[in-house]
Amino acid sequence: MKTIFVVSAAAVALGWMSPQDARAENLFGTDEGKLPLTAGFSDLEGSGGGGLVPLAFISGYGSSTSWGANAHFTNIQLRDLHLYTYGVAAGLFDRVELSYTRQQLDVTGTALDGLGVKQDVYGLKVKLFGDAIYGQDSWLPQVAIGAQYKHNDGIKHAESVKAADLTGLINPMQLGAQAEHSTDIYLVATKVFLAESVLVNAVVRETKANQFGLLGFGGDRHRGYSTKPEGTIAYLLTRKLALGGEIRTGPHNLSVDDQTNAWTIFAAWTPTRNLSLVAAYLNIGSVLAPVTGVTKHQDGPYLSVQAGF
Amino acid sequence: MRLDNLREAFTMRYLQGFQAVALMLLAMSVHASPTLYERIGGQAKLKAVVDEFTNLILEDDRINFTFADSDMNKFKKLIFEQLCEITQGPCKYTGRDMHEAHAKLNLDNAQFNALAEDLYIAFDRVHVPYRVQNRVMALLAPMQRDVVKPGFVAPGTQKPPANIK
Repeated sequence: MKTIFVVSAAAVALGWMSPQDARAENLFGTDEGKLPLTAGFSDLEGSGGGGLVPLAFISGYGSSTSWGANAHFTNIQLRDLHLYTYGVAAGLFDRVELSYTRQQLDVTGTALDGLGVKQDVYGLKVKLFGDAIYGQDSWLPQVAIGAQYKHNDGIKHAESVKAADLTGLINPMQLGAQAEHSTDIYLVATKVFLAESVLVNAVVRETKANQFGLLGFGGDRHRGYSTKPEGTIAYLLTRKLALGGEIRTGPHNLSVDDQTNAWTIFAAWTPTRNLSLVAAYLNIGSVLAPVTGVTKHQDGPYLSVQAGF
Repeated sequence: MRLDNLREAFTMRYLQGFQAVALMLLAMSVHASPTLYERIGGQAKLKAVVDEFTNLILEDDRINFTFADSDMNKFKKLIFEQLCEITQGPCKYTGRDMHEAHAKLNLDNAQFNALAEDLYIAFDRVHVPYRVQNRVMALLAPMQRDVVKPGFVAPGTQKPPANIK
């Protein structure tokens, strides 16, 4: 909990220290030279994207001759679960993105209240070619390649749960997962059709992750990588506000876990280059069903705040 | 007999519906879709955009120094001509091509984007709808290749020196 406050305070401080008016040089000497909405929001895994799906944009507002950085906090209140993430990201020369995010998923509202899963995600993204905005006279999208190293910290029980010994689960391996850590590799293509005010984004992800890694990696049904598609479509309502939806598919590695698609409907808003907000409705599927026994789809409001420059 | 009447009534109704649709299509084709220039609001509106835009860039510390040696009246005239021409208005751009005009300025992406942002704000100030603004921007965006110094242009978007007039 302490970490959340530190990160949030840092985020707010970053946003506050950076001038509202990008015309003056900011405290860090960076140019904040990208157009609003083109720096990406912090997705569930901390990569520059929307809510669930990364975009080919590089996080941060530094243009190709500068750099940028941001911190975020995302709170998702699902039906029987509370998921929150916080982390930092940096973008270098509008070319390379580095990110770190911690995910914490806590069970609320069932007999397993107090049970939780933590995961760290280290991200790297490199823009390969194309420009989503400038290339309006061509169909060529902006294309980037990314990697997310995920490390699952295991299943933690609060004292109350341990006492009841409802599951005895401490580790996703007990569900049939093959590993507690793994790396997702993804290729992402983003195109803004400016004349139509529409953004289209497609991702192909090579992944072993069970429920984003929250249930470990690989399983008894399938051990190795699967190729899974994801996508985003958004309508640019104003220069600073986009409305859209995302869908993300996952592999089905564990026989105990019937993984389904996750999707969002979102509003992404950048009132200034120093503050980005995403409000969404998220349906993340059954996520922790094998642990909690609750197979109902977990859905609810998603709120993300990102501050940076 | 009754069935025939019913059929007749049905056919009439169907035909009337068809006629209505046909008329609508005809009306739409006669009113050929307005040019972007017309959607902006024609000469008066575009002149107002250019005035606002010029004021904005001269106040904008990110880019105003690049206009230090520029004749801003001439700049206004050329920007108007260019915006008018690319939006299918009745004008002819008489300036130099974009590559040549910006070659010595060593502009980077941040400066190009700053200019684009000022143009968006100028459109806002004269109440041109955002969707229409984006249509104009879609025509201007590829000029990044000619305006921005080559080292700053994203690989894969480069073309041989363009001849955008």
